[in-house]
Amino acid sequence: MKPSPRIMMFTWEFPPRIIGGISPHVYNLSKELAENGAEVYVITCDFPGAPAHEKVDDVEVFRVDSYKNPAPDFASWVYLMNMNMQKEAASIIRDLGGVDILHAHDWLVAAATIGLKHVFRKPLIATIHSTEVGRRGGIYSDYERMIHETEAWLTYEAWRVICCSNYMLIHVREFFNLPADKMVMIPNGVNTGEYDMYLKENLREFRNKFASSEEKIVLFVGRLVYEKGAQVLIRAAPKILEKVNARIIIVGNGYMKEQLLALAESMGVAHKVTFTGFLDEESLKKLQVCADVAVVPSLYEPFGIVALEAMAAKSPVVVSDTGGLSEIVEHDVTGVKIRPNDPESLAWGVTRILLDNGYADWIRENAYRKVKEAYNWSRIAQQTKEIYIKVLEEYSRTFWA
Amino acid sequence: MRIIIFSWEYPPRIVGRLAYYVSELATKLANSGLKMHVVTYHDSLIGDFEEASGVKVHRVTNPVKTHINLLTWTITLNQEIERITANIYYRENGQIDLIDVHEWQFIPAAVTIKRAFEIPFIYSIESIEDHRSGGANNPMNIAIKSIEQLGVLEADIIIVKSEWMKNEVKTIYGVSTGKIKVANLEERNGLKAILDVYRSLKGEGTQK
Repeated sequence: MKPSPRIMMFTWEFPPRIIGGISPHVYNLSKELAENGAEVYVITCDFPGAPAHEKVDDVEVFRVDSYKNPAPDFASWVYLMNMNMQKEAASIIRDLGGVDILHAHDWLVAAATIGLKHVFRKPLIATIHSTEVGRRGGIYSDYERMIHETEAWLTYEAWRVICCSNYMLIHVREFFNLPADKMVMIPNGVNTGEYDMYLKENLREFRNKFASSEEKIVLFVGRLVYEKGAQVLIRAAPKILEKVNARIIIVGNGYMKEQLLALAESMGVAHKVTFTGFLDEESLKKLQVCADVAVVPSLYEPFGIVALEAMAAKSPVVVSDTGGLSEIVEHDVTGVKIRPNDPESLAWGVTRILLDNGYADWIRENAYRKVKEAYNWSRIAQQTKEIYIKVLEEYSRTFWA
Repeated sequence: MRIIIFSWEYPPRIVGRLAYYVSELATKLANSGLKMHVVTYHDSLIGDFEEASGVKVHRVTNPVKTHINLLTWTITLNQEIERITANIYYRENGQIDLIDVHEWQFIPAAVTIKRAFEIPFIYSIESIEDHRSGGANNPMNIAIKSIEQLGVLEADIIIVKSEWMKNEVKTIYGVSTGKIKVANLEERNGLKAILDVYRSLKGEGTQK
């Protein structure tokens, strides 16, 4: 067994190219793996201004020329990009003298990695961050079915399938009919260090831009789409304001924005609700630190990274008891769980925290400790490395080795 | 010499003339003493293997059944072409002399295999997208052209069937004529011309 396995990560986004959650995930995981003694190579799409080849925190990053011509549609672009990514990766692997493990993140790199697996005869590991079924709430067109079948193909070809919550693991196992022993749950992580500096800083002036000193800040962060549940928070606002002087701050954009503004108006709480739109990273982190309570009222949530961020920012959390959120939060210990899609329940959870400082502090400290212990990237990288070692050990007994 | 031919049609799956042409070529090459493999597609014969007239035929099906266009269909299928080719490569201890790719469909697999194993490939052109598309230049046509362009660039040699096509490929894809050979099985001495191209790539002169 090699003490430092050579891992090649495949992802369609890597900083500075940031589209969704995969980019920071692969960045943090790769960095920590490299610090844990793995040799890590990242193959990703090119990005204006970013070098084609560079070393980032001991991780060797290759940005390949993705498909630049107009593509018929997004999925076709993905496949064409895979074609380009694969041929570049084939040269890189040959030049490196081989790698030990190929690690794919989502269907977006399925075709490239599956071919390489067979060509180089190396084990393929897949992390499934989300599924087409979950994103669309079902499969309704050939376009969606093709992506769904590509996801199935990737999980079939993978030696192990990693999911970031038990909720996702069960979902993926059932939709793709996978054997249980092929699947592993390794949570997503949050870097508490990114919040620690703001926790020490005096943020009074920053806070005053959003709320008066008499107002408690109730914070929602997320896309303004139905499944994220901002509407539930606005419906709960009158009940919250009956008991506490609060300012409800809604960060994010989405197709529901107009609807939510109108809802706040009709509930008679518009003067107490602030829509900030999209915030830059620093302001967002500071606001998360300033919040007296962070609400995650999602109706559907595969993982729920925003709850972890709030916990790292030492803001007490109120979350829907659903999906990945159910696993992250322990009720009355690291947060308050409420019934999904129930404004009454949400108002109860929020006021419970805002009216009892002792309780809020207890939740705050427990949650912070939990995040540091269970959701830190170093631990996640360690768990991932253990999977690599195990897979390599199994692999060494096959005729491919 | 051990040769692998890639073709997206091969009997019993017949789309156009290519199926007959490739099967006749493979059979004649096998009769000339070459060790011939054909890697091809079939709708339903998964992992089918057949040895007939000295030609080993490997058939794969598409691992993804639902598709939105020819491109997505082609690219997922290429991964299976790579899988079977790699299996042949490892079984034969890397003793593959060259890959002869007919038309553009399996160019992506040939490029990956070339880069991974340093096996040269020939791009055998029957027709090109510029002619087939009748002047249309929508994203689908552009994508197919870009794959043809990739094939023209990465191939060690291009085989066309006429001087006219040689000129077309040269003009449209900006490739030097030295790289393009004219050889057509259906013409006199066609087989010998193709064998000569194979041997030139192998660097063996004219006899082995």
